[in-house]
Amino acid sequence: MDSDVILVIVVGTALAFDFTNGFHDTANVVATSISTGAARPQVAIGMASLLNFVGAFISISVAATVANDVVDAAVITPTIVFAGLIGAITWNLITWWFGLPSSSSHALIGGVVGSAVAAVGLDAVLAEGLVGKVLVPAVVAPLVAFIVAGLGIGIAYRVVGRQRPGPVTRGFRYGQIVSGGLLALAHGTNDAQKTMGIITLALIANGTLAANSDPPLWVIVSAALAIALGTYFGGWRIIRTTGSRIIKMDAAQGFSAQGAGAAVILASTHFGFPLSTTHVINGGVMGAGAGKRVSAVRWGVAGNIVVAWLLTLPAAAAIGAAAYGLTRIFGTGALGPVLVTLMALALIAAAFVRRSQQGSPVPAG
Amino acid sequence: MATIVETKELAETVIASLVAGVGVTTIFSAAIWGGARFVDLSRDGRPLAAGAAAVFGGLALVTTLAAVAIGIVVMTGK
Repeated sequence: MDSDVILVIVVGTALAFDFTNGFHDTANVVATSISTGAARPQVAIGMASLLNFVGAFISISVAATVANDVVDAAVITPTIVFAGLIGAITWNLITWWFGLPSSSSHALIGGVVGSAVAAVGLDAVLAEGLVGKVLVPAVVAPLVAFIVAGLGIGIAYRVVGRQRPGPVTRGFRYGQIVSGGLLALAHGTNDAQKTMGIITLALIANGTLAANSDPPLWVIVSAALAIALGTYFGGWRIIRTTGSRIIKMDAAQGFSAQGAGAAVILASTHFGFPLSTTHVINGGVMGAGAGKRVSAVRWGVAGNIVVAWLLTLPAAAAIGAAAYGLTRIFGTGALGPVLVTLMALALIAAAFVRRSQQGSPVPAG
Repeated sequence: MATIVETKELAETVIASLVAGVGVTTIFSAAIWGGARFVDLSRDGRPLAAGAAAVFGGLALVTTLAAVAIGIVVMTGK
């Protein structure tokens, strides 16, 4: 009975995390299209929301990685998964508060690794999967997006450079409808799968699913809905966007950045790498800026992204470990997760109330 | 370390990203070039050259869309 209660709390928490992931990342996905005038905000957000939903159905490779390759499912309990989610949500809240562009994906993986280590020890971590499928791709992917976008914009300027700006800008704006859609699709397929993977891990830990199982359909549908709704509602509170925060871009740069981001995320998804879509998209935006003029990029903002990137995994892991310790104070039953959930909800509500009194923060991404 | 870091899969990811990202941007730029040339040449009263530019642009556009569709199918087909 207790384990079923904990499982319900884990599923609810994971879907809430998925919603906040979409909410956070709307700015990254639609900012480029909106800032270049390729799409009106309502259209860009509606399309991004729909394509995030669709994207969640087209692959389960990343979900399999999160469920089976990061921590040893045989020693994981639903309470460990719960504490990991609390670690990720708390870190997201902290970075949202300070306006740091952190990665929800890294927070999720860091949180689960931290709580698993606190509960079981280092043996719970599958180093091969963590390093090979998470840490190395986390470093490589944004750099590749940077290079692809930089090369792409360099070639694009060479091809269309002598043409009149009017038709060229119009052409790239039309192109951005496709590249922006691809980016939203890619975002949905990589990010929604992390939640699917976490829920699947909890179901395996609870004995509801056999080891190495794929996510059930209800998990895929609910994760798709959560990220799509988060994307839709997140769009209405964009204050300062990725595009204008890092560079002021034209339509060709927007196309190149979105194309690079989508290509890297889709290619990584194929191999089951759970990327930070935030970092990949920002890498593409910076590459498109640097490809035109290196000084066009606000490198200070880029530096903040790197700092947030370095901090996220260890910080979320530490909070995940602390959340597990706090949960266990109340025993091994459902009381701990229930009380910690109530504490987390109170903390989130207080943060939102306080922040709304102070004015809106920069979306954390 | 070589077994921990999935070198082959990572290399394929990098190559696929480079080919898809740079390739699509290049082909689509060619489509825009064709469209822009078509408008200018039509205005200059050179219908033959304008037609050739339009055909070139159209082919580049179709290639772009085909590349995107194939890319989605291949990259998500696992």
